[in-house]
This record gives sequence, C-alpha cells and structure tokens, in this order.
Amino acid sequence: MRIRIGAKTESNKISRGRISNESFITLSMFAVLIVLIGLASIFVPNFYLLQNIINLVTNSWYLIVIGIGVTFILVTGNFEMSVSGVVAMTGVLCVYFCQASNVSPSPLANGLGLPYGVAVILSLLCAMLIGAINAFFVAKLKIASIVVTLGTLSISRGIAQIVTQGAQRNTSLPDIFGVVGNIFIIGSVKFSIFIMIFFIIVAVIIEKKTVFGRRTYLIGANIQAAKLSGVKVVQHVTVLYLISSFLAGVVGILLASEYISGTSNRIMGAEFDALVIALLGGTAISGGFGSVIGTVIGALILAVVASSSTGLLLRPEWQFILKSVIVFMAIMAQRFAIDRRKL
Amino acid sequence: MNDYVLEIKNLIKDFPGVRAVNDVSLVIKRNTVHCIVGENGAGKSTLIKILTGALDKTSGTILLNGKEYSARNTRDARLKGISTVFQELNVVDQLTVEENLTLGSEDTFLGFLRKTDKIKRVINVLKSLEPSINPKQLVSRLSVAQKQIVEIAKAVAAGSDIIIMDEPTAAISECEIERLFKIIKSLKDKKVTVIYISHRLDEIFEIGDYVTVMRDGRHVGTKPVSDVKNRLELIKMMIGKTIFESYVPKESMKEDVLLEVKNLNNDKLSDISFEVQKGEVVGFYGLLGAGKTELASALFGTDRYRGEIIFSGKKLLYNSPDKAIEAGIALVPEERRTQGLFTILTIRSNIPVMNMSKISRSGFINTSKELKAAKEYIVKLKIATNTMEKQVSKLSGGNQQKVVFAKCLFADADLLILDEPTRGIDVGAKSEIYNIIRGLSKEGKSILIFSSELYEILNNCDRIFLMCDGRIKTEIKNGPAINMEEIIHIVTGGEAICESV
Repeated sequence: MRIRIGAKTESNKISRGRISNESFITLSMFAVLIVLIGLASIFVPNFYLLQNIINLVTNSWYLIVIGIGVTFILVTGNFEMSVSGVVAMTGVLCVYFCQASNVSPSPLANGLGLPYGVAVILSLLCAMLIGAINAFFVAKLKIASIVVTLGTLSISRGIAQIVTQGAQRNTSLPDIFGVVGNIFIIGSVKFSIFIMIFFIIVAVIIEKKTVFGRRTYLIGANIQAAKLSGVKVVQHVTVLYLISSFLAGVVGILLASEYISGTSNRIMGAEFDALVIALLGGTAISGGFGSVIGTVIGALILAVVASSSTGLLLRPEWQFILKSVIVFMAIMAQRFAIDRRKL
Repeated sequence: MNDYVLEIKNLIKDFPGVRAVNDVSLVIKRNTVHCIVGENGAGKSTLIKILTGALDKTSGTILLNGKEYSARNTRDARLKGISTVFQELNVVDQLTVEENLTLGSEDTFLGFLRKTDKIKRVINVLKSLEPSINPKQLVSRLSVAQKQIVEIAKAVAAGSDIIIMDEPTAAISECEIERLFKIIKSLKDKKVTVIYISHRLDEIFEIGDYVTVMRDGRHVGTKPVSDVKNRLELIKMMIGKTIFESYVPKESMKEDVLLEVKNLNNDKLSDISFEVQKGEVVGFYGLLGAGKTELASALFGTDRYRGEIIFSGKKLLYNSPDKAIEAGIALVPEERRTQGLFTILTIRSNIPVMNMSKISRSGFINTSKELKAAKEYIVKLKIATNTMEKQVSKLSGGNQQKVVFAKCLFADADLLILDEPTRGIDVGAKSEIYNIIRGLSKEGKSILIFSSELYEILNNCDRIFLMCDGRIKTEIKNGPAINMEEIIHIVTGGEAICESV
C-alpha cells in the first residue's frame, strides 16, 4: 500500500518511549523491598546479617515456584487456588508409591514399593491430572476459575488426607528418597534453590521473549479480541494449568524429600500466599498485567515482613494481621503509582 | 398545561470529534404517537439516551410539561415521567409478572413487602392492556412480545407521560406486532404519549400521528403522518442531498473468484449466496438487525452455519477464527474496544497479534522485527502518537480503529472483512480509513464492507448487496446511476421495484 508519510508521524519521531508499566511497577516494588529491608535492619536485631538475608530467599523457594504458575494464570484473568493441595497430594503420593510393600502390619508403613524414579513420574502425572481437571472446567466449560480451583484444592488435599489417614507417611522409604531435597550444591545452597532459579529464568524468558508469553497477556487483556485475533484460548489456558500443577508437583516431591515424609497438611494455606505475592508483585487480578520478577519480589517482601515480625517478637497470632496490612498498603501504593503515571 | 408534553430547544450533544446531536429543536404533542426516523448515526439514539438519562446533554433545554427536565439515569427519568421500553428488555426472568410490575416501587414495611392496593392497580393496567397474561406467571415463560407488554404496563402504571419504544418490533412476529400496535393505540386513551423509534417505515404509516426525520444529528423536519404522501418522501428526507465524493467503481472484473458462498443458513441468516472477485470491494448494506454482523461472523468462523464457503478454490471446513486467519481471512470486528483491541496493552503489542510468526522464529519473538513492524504500521496508517508504547485506551476513537486496521493488515490476509469499519469516529479519520481501503483494493486484496451507513458503502464499494431480515434482497452495481431511494426502500422492508443488476 502506498500512503504518503504524514508530518505528524514521521518514523524517526516514534520513540520506544519510557519503560513499560510492568517494569515500572516491578521497579517500584523493588524499591519498597529495599526500604523494608532498610527499616528491618534498623529496628530488628541481627536482621542485617547476610545469613539472615540468604535465609529469606531460601525459605521462600517453594512459594516462588508455585507463584510462577499462579502468576501466569492470573495474567490470563483466571485464578489458581489449587496449588498448595497439589503440593501436599504429590508429596504424599510420591511417598506412598515409594514405600516398601508388605513390610509392616501398620497400613501407613506400607506402600507400593515402586522405584523412586517411577514414583516421581507417577506422582507428577497425578499432579498434572488435577491441572487437567482445572483446565477442563475453566477453559472448556467456562466455569468460574475461583470455584473450580478451590474445589480441586479440596480434592487434592483430601486425597492427601485419605492416603495418610489424616497424618503422615514417613517409614519404609529407600535412602534415595531424601537426597534431592537435602543435597547442597554450593556451600549452604540447597538443590531446591537451583530448581527455583532455573524455573524463574525459564519463566522470565517465556514471559518476555516468546509468542506463548505474549498470548498469555492477550487473553487476560481481552479474551474476546484474543479469540478473534486467532489465539487458541482453550488450548492456551489448558497448557498453563498443566504447567502450574506440574510446578506444584515438583515442589511437592522436593518438600517430601526434604522432610522424608508425606504430610497431608503440608504448606496449608500457601495457595493464598501465592496469590498474595503475585498481587504484591503488581499482577492485576483482572488479568493482562503482571510479571514473574514482580512475583519474586512480592515473595521477598512477604518474607521480610514475616521474618521481621518474628524478630520483633510479635506474637505469631498477630502476624496474620501484619501481613494483610502490608499487602493492603503495597497494593494501594501500586494503584497510586500507576494512576500518577501518564503515558 | 399546554398542548406539548415535550419541548426540546437547541439541544446539542458533543462527543470527542463528533457532534452527535446538532441544534435540535422539536416539540411533541400530548397523547400522540410520535415517530422518529433516520439512518444509523443520524442522532436518534443519542437523543433518546439524553431523554432517558443515559447521557448528559452538552447544551440546550428540554421542557417536560413546561418544566425544565433532566434525568440522571433511567430510574430518575421514569420517576419524572419518561419511561423507556428498550430493545434489550429490562425484565427479570426469575420473578413473576406481578413482582416485575412492582419491582423498584414496592410498598414495604421495615424492608418487608406489603401487599397493597398498588399491586391491584398495576395488575388492572396489565389486564386492560392484555388480559391473557397471568400475573402469577414467571416472566421467563413469556414470549418477547408479552415481556414488552409487561414493560409497557409497568410504564403506564408508573404514571409516565411519555413512553419511548426503541425498535419494539425488531424481535417479534407479525401477529404479535399487530397486537402491540393495538396496545400502542389504546395508550392514547390512557393519556400517554409514545415516542416510537423504528427503521421499518411502513409501521410509521400504520400507527404514527407525527413523524420526525433526523439526519447527521440535525432535525430535518416534523410532519403529521397524514401529510406524508408515501415512503419515498420520507426516504428523501432521510438521505437528503448528500454530496458524494466521486468514487469510480472498478469496471469489468476479471473472472478470478476468491470467495464463493453457497446457500449459507443459520438461525439468523437464510440462503445467502454470493461471489467475490480478487481486488473487489463488496458492500453489504442493511439496517441494524439485517444480519450483517451474523454473516461476517459466519465467514470468519465464529458462528455456525449450514452451506458452503469456498475460499481460494478450497472449501472451508473450519469453525474457529485462528483457522480463518491461517486461510487468509482477517476481520475488523464491529466493536473495536470489546472485540478488536487489547486496550490495556500498548500499540506495539497490539499490532502483530494476528500474525505472530512474522515477528518470531520457532516461538521466540524477534524484538527488533517487532519494533520495526510497529513503527512501519504507525507511519503507514498515520496513527497519531509520539510513542509506540502508548496504551491503546489512551488513543482517540479514530486512531484506535487505525490500530485495529494495522492488526488486520499485518495478518497479510487476502480477504478483509470489515464490520462497521468507521463507526463512531470523526470525519477526518473516516476518509483516511477509506483511503486505506482503496489502497488495499489496488494491491489486489478483496474486501467485504458490512455497514449501516449508505454513504460509506457508496463511497467504497464496487458492488452492493442489500440485506434485510437475514437475506440478501438484491445485488446492485455501484455507479452514478444508483437510485438511493430504492436502496432505502428495499432495506427498510420494501420489495424490490426492479432488478437493477
């Protein structure tokens, strides 16, 4: 097509402009994190110690890994509340598959006696089955994702309870079971931390650099327009739920290995924390906006708050309220910042 | 009390870049049926929205019963005496007829419902209008026409001076229309004035006392219906002496068929068949509800259909937009904000979405290609922005529509389906979009324009299909000899006078 170039839009005048709103929010939340660390270093005894800061990151690894899946799904405008149940279920099933069979009169000491590798693969498949159920109801049948994933949260937690009879399974396990969760790679850095870093890098690349990542944002920004622009929405959301449950499954296996047990109430309530860190990181609950790096920063903010309240010897029952106050403040600060930012 | 229930003086309503209602002065006589007609975009619906409180006027005065009138919302308008029966009916399906009639005006005691005389009165109004409706019935069991009657009864019982009816016959059957007309006539005895909006000109002669014609936001004239000779006179008033830019339709096409549609049917379309040549611009003209959008949706694979679509010699078997795009068809949808754009994202991220493979390799986005593409299309379509990172929601309507076009052009489609391509944008942006359409046609792309603006169709199309009630009524060749009166005659439900192909 030949159209005369208008004076208004000469090509050299079209700049890339300033940084995107996502980067802007991520940077401002990073600033909030730095301020919080600064304040904590002043007021909380021994907070500034390097080991303490490292602990903050390492203790958040599982939350960050499940937070990645939750973030991607939130960006499409859907919820993923089933993650903590999937973590518990996968861990319990992995133990059950691995426990030696017919070795004890106690039912909780007997498993299927499968080799560790087979047990891991089978329990990951079970985790992804929950993801498939989520996807079927949310993407295909268009049922509200919050309802569906709260339902599967209950189902997966329930399976964990049934298999452990409401308690835990931790006997007759092969030695190899406790390796991946407790192995140190460099100094005091656990293997799980490397898994976390690996997933963060992959997620950031998917988010920023791939067509798949871009389409995730399109679905959240306007599902109708996404469909009319050729995005296969059902397929896309399905893949995301499978990924999220896979990540939760990996966390479940690593945690089971770390504690050498499968506990039915493992990380109870973490689905809420995963949602909170994504929101803290700037992900919009209505979809179309957010970033994985933001979620990582959100996790760190949550960790700083939780750990300084312990350091300040606040009674644990007050921590819940402190946590929610910080969340409200952070989210209001974001709203404020975005509204002030005119492009 | 004077003779006029409603007096509108110098009413103006501005939207960014468009004056939708331009200095309209109009009086409506008490206890009459007053019809308002005009093409889409003539300003009828804006005028109605001001009366019902959905929009604020920019300037001017409205007097209701001689008193200054303005409404904050439809509820406020109803309390002040103007009720509306909207096309999308405002009834609650899960409640009974009786409950619907008193909804919002229930008598209560400490929040509990009280059965009072009010209910009896409302039910009597309904009985006098239509005795066959049982007040204890669930509204979900009623037909569309019966729901309309319930709404009318509610408006009458609320003591409305004026009831506005917006296209009430669009979704109901012949015999139901007759019953509705009987009711409308009986409303005069109940001291109610009816403002009646319709595209079907024959109806105006049947029930109207007065008719007002609007065009381009202006009041062209108001006449007693008895003084109007025939529909042609109305049609002439509706289109006026619009001066058309001289569009010269392309002459004799090579027989190089790109799209062939055979006997397309679904619940909104009947027996649609046509062919489109390469490089041809084909228009589909019809009023709201004529089936234009439905046809566009069927062609793009979002609606199901029976029949055959043959594109580039291959029969299309898909039923999803991604396959249509793959085959080489792109759609500019009717509603740009809800269907066309990702308004919270930037211009840069909007442009490539229909053809990501052009800016990526094995799934990875090539950023420099993406930036180049964004820059190229911003310049090509003259999208007024200083940065490609601007959120699309912050652009004007015309520039937003250009982004939708950029998206579709980027898809490199052979066939572009444009559904109301210039709805709600200003004149300058319109003519720029027409230039884009002509440029595309020169490149050999085929274009289908679905529009309810005759001007747009006559200015861009080589051939025109006239649609009404989900059918193609007739096909005409665009050119200087075209008879606009006849076109309007046909799309408003008249029979073709002669075959003009």
